[in-house]
Amino acid sequence: MSDGATAAPRARLSAGLPPAPRVNLGPAQRLLAGLLVTLIYVFLLTPIVIVVAASFNPGQSNALPTGGLSLRWYRDFAGSDGFVNAFKFSLQLGLVAAIAATAIGLVTAYGIVRFLGRRRALGQAFALMPMMIPHILISLALLLMLTQIPLPEAAVLLIGHVMICLPFTVAGIIASLEGVDHQLEMAAWTLGASRWRILWEITIPLVAPGLVSSLLFAFIVSFGDVYISLFLSSPGKTTLPIEIFTFMLWDSSPVIAAITTVQMLMIIALGLAIERLVGLRKVMRL
Amino acid sequence: MTRSARNFGRLLFAPITLIYLLFLILPVSFFLALSVLKYHPNDLYQPILTLENYRRLLFDGFYLAIIGRTLKIAAIVTLVSLAIGYPLAYFLARTRTAWRGVLMFLVIAPLMSGVIVRTYGWIVLFGTEGLVNSVLKAVGLINAPLQLLNTQFGLIVALVHILVPYMVFPIFSALAGLDRNVERAASTLGARGWRVFFEVTLPLSRSGIVMGSALVFTLTAGAVVTPALMGPRDGRVLGQMVYELVGSVLNWPLAAAAASLLVLCQFLIIFAKFRSGRRV
Repeated sequence: MSDGATAAPRARLSAGLPPAPRVNLGPAQRLLAGLLVTLIYVFLLTPIVIVVAASFNPGQSNALPTGGLSLRWYRDFAGSDGFVNAFKFSLQLGLVAAIAATAIGLVTAYGIVRFLGRRRALGQAFALMPMMIPHILISLALLLMLTQIPLPEAAVLLIGHVMICLPFTVAGIIASLEGVDHQLEMAAWTLGASRWRILWEITIPLVAPGLVSSLLFAFIVSFGDVYISLFLSSPGKTTLPIEIFTFMLWDSSPVIAAITTVQMLMIIALGLAIERLVGLRKVMRL
Repeated sequence: MTRSARNFGRLLFAPITLIYLLFLILPVSFFLALSVLKYHPNDLYQPILTLENYRRLLFDGFYLAIIGRTLKIAAIVTLVSLAIGYPLAYFLARTRTAWRGVLMFLVIAPLMSGVIVRTYGWIVLFGTEGLVNSVLKAVGLINAPLQLLNTQFGLIVALVHILVPYMVFPIFSALAGLDRNVERAASTLGARGWRVFFEVTLPLSRSGIVMGSALVFTLTAGAVVTPALMGPRDGRVLGQMVYELVGSVLNWPLAAAAASLLVLCQFLIIFAKFRSGRRV
């Protein structure tokens, strides 16, 4: 975000200047640096690639390398009611949480960009609050609330998920709104449109890609969450990560590899969609 | 701004304010308030003010050992993440390769896949018959498989892997937002190679380093899932302890006191964010 706004003038300023100095000098040092970066990427990606490899393991254990290929663990996953139900529940929860977080994120971001003026930084900090509090603490506090007030557990779980998605949706939509020409809204206002109509007919269509990507990103955040769901899952309403976590506390089997591979494929596809729409960096405020 | 505009603005903030107030600020405050109340075996708490919970955490050898271990692990994970994250962030910020977008995505993708997936990856890698042991055996470095799972070493490696993106992004932002003309100036004035880096670039990216370190430190201290699945059985950390205090011991006041130590860590982040200034 920080370089986007200033890139153009800076490029012009540095047009006739010598190239900026870089650290690497000699070819030997360059090679070493390249090796270092490659090693870091190997470290980052091996545990993920290994999960995919383990999911095709024909044997019972997590032994690697495997002696052949098999889809038995995918069949196991499809045949296991517990995991399939948890997967479905996570999908539903993620979908509803993403829609709610994007809708609330839109009105909040709109308010921050257009109506806060000098207090804007304060509004942004307020929206980011759930990120500032350890998620395990939010989960515990909501569980405590449930012991005092009889609310449906699933509703509280949903609200918890909406809250941890909001910092991302608000920030992402703010970034999109900054690209909207305020003059267009002013024109509609001069022509007599109400504020809600301006939001609905002018602003929303203009930030549509930002809304879709915030929807997808919120879904990813909700689907990957463990900490909020840790204390708020109830029988029949358990999210996939919690189902996997409780299973893994007692047992370990390549069926987990099959499930997580499916999950990863889904998330990478969504991530690529966001990258296409607005760029991941924008959503993640980088 | 007209009155109607002000009212409309307020209306826009109504949903988020209501949710945060009812489901974040009030419950979290109530929970943290439990930390100064007395424990009751059959109830959530006894309405008697006491500092007993904090005294137990800070003076009882059992809890003190957990806190000390947590701080040690968090410090190691933070330092190792910095050592790995800084070069990676520097590379991503400065590289001119056409693959930059892809390389960026490869750092973000693990982050999006969730904690469970990555923890499971390390469990597979570190198992007695896992890839690490297989490779070491094939090379001839070891005869019997190494115990890597359920050790502090294994836990630290996995936590570094899980948390290193949180170190990379703030440093990347700081480096990408840095005015290259400052480096040019240093170079024109005669500073060469590494000197420009150590005397100009590194100090100017300090905000990112502080932010990333604070994030990684707190996330390590509050980790529950990874330590529970692959940490040493007799070497629990603070987040795990909170989980057990509520999940099985049902001592809410003590859990609240332990959690407020985590919040103390989190204040470190807010402070770092405030100090680093550029991003709110």
